[in-house]
Amino acid sequence: MMEETIAIQLDGVVQNRSKFKLGPLHMSIPGGYITAIVGPNGCGKSSTFRLMLDLDKADGGRIELLGHHVGQGIDIELMKRIGYLHDQSSSHEDSMKGTEKADFHRFWYDSWDVNRYRELLHLLEVDDNQTLGKMSKGMRRKFEFALALAHGPELLLLDEPSSGLDPLAWKTMIEVLHRYMDRGDRTIVMTSHIIEEVKRLADFIVFMAQGRVLGVYEKDELFSSWFTLFVSGAELTPKKASVMPGQCGVDHAGGTTYRVTTNKAAEAEQWCAAEGYQIVSRQALELDEIMSVLLIQDRLSIRSN
Amino acid sequence: MRLPIQINEQSAEPLYHQIEVQLRALIVSGQLMEGTLLPSIRELAQTVKCSVITIKRVYNDLEAEGLLRTRQGTGTYVAQVGEQERGRHRLAAVIEALEQAVIAGKRVQCTEVELETMFKEAMNKHFD
Repeated sequence: MMEETIAIQLDGVVQNRSKFKLGPLHMSIPGGYITAIVGPNGCGKSSTFRLMLDLDKADGGRIELLGHHVGQGIDIELMKRIGYLHDQSSSHEDSMKGTEKADFHRFWYDSWDVNRYRELLHLLEVDDNQTLGKMSKGMRRKFEFALALAHGPELLLLDEPSSGLDPLAWKTMIEVLHRYMDRGDRTIVMTSHIIEEVKRLADFIVFMAQGRVLGVYEKDELFSSWFTLFVSGAELTPKKASVMPGQCGVDHAGGTTYRVTTNKAAEAEQWCAAEGYQIVSRQALELDEIMSVLLIQDRLSIRSN
Repeated sequence: MRLPIQINEQSAEPLYHQIEVQLRALIVSGQLMEGTLLPSIRELAQTVKCSVITIKRVYNDLEAEGLLRTRQGTGTYVAQVGEQERGRHRLAAVIEALEQAVIAGKRVQCTEVELETMFKEAMNKHFD
């Protein structure tokens, strides 16, 4: 069985930019699992990654990675245990050959596994014998992905890993990540805009918006709590429907039927049974639908404060 | 090994319960023989598209029931299932399915008589 550990801990982390304030962020990311951070563009996902890796400095708060306090100078030993895939490739490397960048990684990472690296290039159909600038966007992404994994890091940070990948390469990437996790003691933190990717990979989902964490959820629990119920009853009114446990929206659906969205599906169904209302139909919410409800609720709560 | 487990995301049934019922049925029906090595937690999570937390719960529950056993470092195996146990579990799965049928019927406002008629029709169809 996997040990329950904390891979990443953020306590009151703040970053003040002239046009954007990140935080204060509080979050614990468990070791041994895949955690996906989702949220609209510019919500602070990539900035959070950069803070975790000490690429940018936080203006306040405390960050711990694999039990080490981040932000007290470069910790090479810690960095060796981490793999990182940037959201964008750096243009200053355009004239560098793939093999040269790989040599650089081999030099820095003691645990660099050349066979693993070759296997990943083969699986992803990447030729590293060309300059990074000449590679297509998808090819360069696959190459960087292979590099991030080749030293078998304990903690893998992936910033939108699938951007630019074709469907086959995407599928290979998912399989590679599952196999990487199979040992049970490794951790992945990733950002993604692809719903299917989050559904297939994540164990935990973190919602972020406007530089804040809206919530951390266990994936299956999240999806089993959010449902749209079509409820019918002779006496049913919008007002009565609105007191359903976890209610997040009521619409009239014709006749005496109402369409009620809830984030407490099990309680809501018990409530319907107790009140004598009939559940005509039920529909699970998709990740994007859950996110838009959370965003609306968040905006309302800011306004009312 | 790929287990024939399928989940219904639209069901009111919690995911872990859906998987548990199906895996239990595979074991007590003898389709998975004693000593069979089950997929790793991550592997099964991948095939049924759920989180490892759910699969861990399923494995833990079935281990507590004595249907599975975990050997440190090697994996999770199907345990020996006694005859009595097998009989008890065999019926449990049927009772569960019948209850689900009744719930489905109530959802569309079937009367008791209607349900009984349908049950008899289904019986006649499958037993001659």
